[in-house]
Amino acid sequence: MTSTIDAQPAASPGAGAPATREVRVAIIGSGFAGLAMAIRLRERGETDFVLLERAGDVGGTWRDNTYPGAACDVQSHLYSYSFAPNPDWPRSYSEQPEIQAYLQGTADRYGVRAHCVFDAEVTAARWDDAARRWLVATTAGEFRAQVLVSAAGALADPTYPDIPGLETFEGTKMHSARWDSSHDISGEKVAVIGTGASAIQIVPAIQPQVESITVYQRTPAWVVPRTDHPVKPWARRLYKLLPGLQRAIRGALYVFREFLVLGMAKRRAFLKPVGGLAKAHLERQVRDPKLREALTPDYTIGCKRILISNDYFPAVAAPNAELVTAGIAEIRPHSIVSTDGIERPTDTLILATGFHVTDLPIAERICGRDGRSLAQVWEDGMVSNRSSTVAGFPNLFLLVGPNVGVGHTSMVYMIESQVAYVDDALRTMETEGLAALETTPEAQEAWRALIAEKSKGTVWLGGGCASWYLDKHGHNTTLWPDFTFRFRRLTKELDRENYIGIPAEAPARREEAA
Amino acid sequence: MTGTLTRTVCKRTAAVTTPDGAQLHATVEGAENAPVTVVLAHGWTLSQAAWDDVAGLLADRIADGELRLVRYDQRGHGRSTWGDTEITVDQLGADLAEVLDQLAPTGPVVLGGHSMGGMTIMCLAAARPELFGDRVRGVALVSTSAGDLTSDPKSAGGRMAKLKPGMLSALLAGARVLERLRNLVPPTHPRHQKMVRELLYGSDATEEMVLEGAKIMHASTLRSFLEFMPALGDHDKRENLAALTRVPVEIFVGDSDKLTPKRHSRQLTEVLPEARLHLAERTGHMLTQERPQLVVDGLLRLVGQAGTGRAVA
Repeated sequence: MTSTIDAQPAASPGAGAPATREVRVAIIGSGFAGLAMAIRLRERGETDFVLLERAGDVGGTWRDNTYPGAACDVQSHLYSYSFAPNPDWPRSYSEQPEIQAYLQGTADRYGVRAHCVFDAEVTAARWDDAARRWLVATTAGEFRAQVLVSAAGALADPTYPDIPGLETFEGTKMHSARWDSSHDISGEKVAVIGTGASAIQIVPAIQPQVESITVYQRTPAWVVPRTDHPVKPWARRLYKLLPGLQRAIRGALYVFREFLVLGMAKRRAFLKPVGGLAKAHLERQVRDPKLREALTPDYTIGCKRILISNDYFPAVAAPNAELVTAGIAEIRPHSIVSTDGIERPTDTLILATGFHVTDLPIAERICGRDGRSLAQVWEDGMVSNRSSTVAGFPNLFLLVGPNVGVGHTSMVYMIESQVAYVDDALRTMETEGLAALETTPEAQEAWRALIAEKSKGTVWLGGGCASWYLDKHGHNTTLWPDFTFRFRRLTKELDRENYIGIPAEAPARREEAA
Repeated sequence: MTGTLTRTVCKRTAAVTTPDGAQLHATVEGAENAPVTVVLAHGWTLSQAAWDDVAGLLADRIADGELRLVRYDQRGHGRSTWGDTEITVDQLGADLAEVLDQLAPTGPVVLGGHSMGGMTIMCLAAARPELFGDRVRGVALVSTSAGDLTSDPKSAGGRMAKLKPGMLSALLAGARVLERLRNLVPPTHPRHQKMVRELLYGSDATEEMVLEGAKIMHASTLRSFLEFMPALGDHDKRENLAALTRVPVEIFVGDSDKLTPKRHSRQLTEVLPEARLHLAERTGHMLTQERPQLVVDGLLRLVGQAGTGRAVA
């Protein structure tokens, strides 16, 4: 351990004291990734760390996305921490309140909430090469940390569409990730912009209570049936009694979902039956030939995220619903005008327009050794070693960063893989007595080449669609393009040969220490 | 802001809820303050899409604010639900009254009905005569009948009437299987189109027209085919059309209509001597598709008269 700072007792929330607080590890974000990292630190006996959380509670994406119908597309048995099974999931695919409660409960159970500093939005983080410390400025004071873990996530910052007149709209306007539950939409004329994973859950949840719902669609999604069902009380008792059973089901679900990779990344012919299933689903649920045509994607299934729903199509085909495929020309104070010159009166506008995924906003706030921000370094696309570290950014670890995204299985699996990698890096620093670890541009290039090679021929690049998986250059910088167990193998241990270690006793220039 | 869209047309979707809980899918186009509202009712196993051609030809007038257009799916058709009431054509008349109350509560109205939609208007006239002359200022009846649809054994209706109620319920019970069989011969199939053309279209109809119509009908359920069939057979309003004599009526029929042959439109003119009858040559039952301009001209005449109004406002 190189840190000479004494382990702090439990942080008091909102510790916005003027003095800079010294910690060994600062974690940005307290969602699935941040909490997993914190729990791992606790388990290895580390107590000198903080979770910097911009909101007032843990949960991240699952805290923020409270829109009606918010639920997970992966079964809860699989979409949960491996170390914290929950026998009490009420449904096979849990909804947002249950997942958020699970995260809160897990944070409490592992005692990491005490490490959270809430209302601490990271405004800037800078590597002080002389002091070998990260200087982190937050809305709740300054922190100095040896190691910075960014667990800010990819589905964190909403994107707003660039539509003329959007700011002139005088009705209620909200992003799906910033739902205002105090606003009652019953009996209103509601417009939903977007038909992605959020919209597909919101539309059926609100359609029965609104006067009319207009869904503005740019690209239709492939939708497959959702095999959701409540978990019977006896089954829950059984999971409690036999944790092995739940683990076995988790394993089976994992294997089953991994088969999708075969089709998406290996041989696209394997996707045919999935496409057939989606097509049959649409044909069974929508009779109107024009609506059916409008809802039929023209790209290979899997190119964009495959959505699962049993009630989206019936909601779009409901008597009070309209699907608009013409683009939006402009938004007026009380209406939306589509490019075909049709103006539809609108009381509430819901923007289900997704997140900054290929241009992570946190990247603008983290500056490396040479003073350049991650965003500047990533100008030509996000690059990294093992999706976790970036050359020029010593002791910075990214969770849910570039090329760890998965559309087919549980993100938690990827997060736990990355946490193990960071854990091994910390161990390496301790055993070797290092002040810092920094990856090399060569390692980064090798990783980029590996990703590019694996992405070749995948449905995401060759499926004939523009998706949020690809950056503005058309490169896959968000998805892990292979089996997830391969990622786990590659991040099981620190690839020490790809890192330069800076010994703790190395002479440090000391001109600017905070 | 962009300035490119100076001429926009207001449009909204509405679900009209009836007292028995059915939800009728309606589309309202045009300014709320337009001087006249045109309400169109479609025929058996069709949907409001059957009026698409007519609506397309009216688009400019709607954009100019001359009229407002309301189209809706009859219960059990298109996107509309079934409700809890036994299916009769009288019920469709009550539904139309509901549509008027909710979507055109004030101002003069012109009604247009094709086939079963025409019968719907007749039922409204029989049940709510006070509306005619006051709210309703004109009526267009297209390829329709006041009753006696099953008397001619050679007509399509007559042949269908031979199906006994027991057979109908047997067919309904097997609807799921039949629906699947029906998908074996989709609207794009030449056999399917030939059948549709022979039954419903005149010799001038283009392939596109037939395909379009076949698609609309294919989208309707077997249940609506079977449940409405006896209701149509029971329809008889020949003695109850007095209210229609109070407003201008335009009647349209194709000379090769096999479902509601021209004899039915002639019968209508006997009861409505002041009505104007248009006989379209080489035209079948799908007159709204086959001769949309003819129908539009009629509707616009009625709209013009409704605006000046011979009845009290």
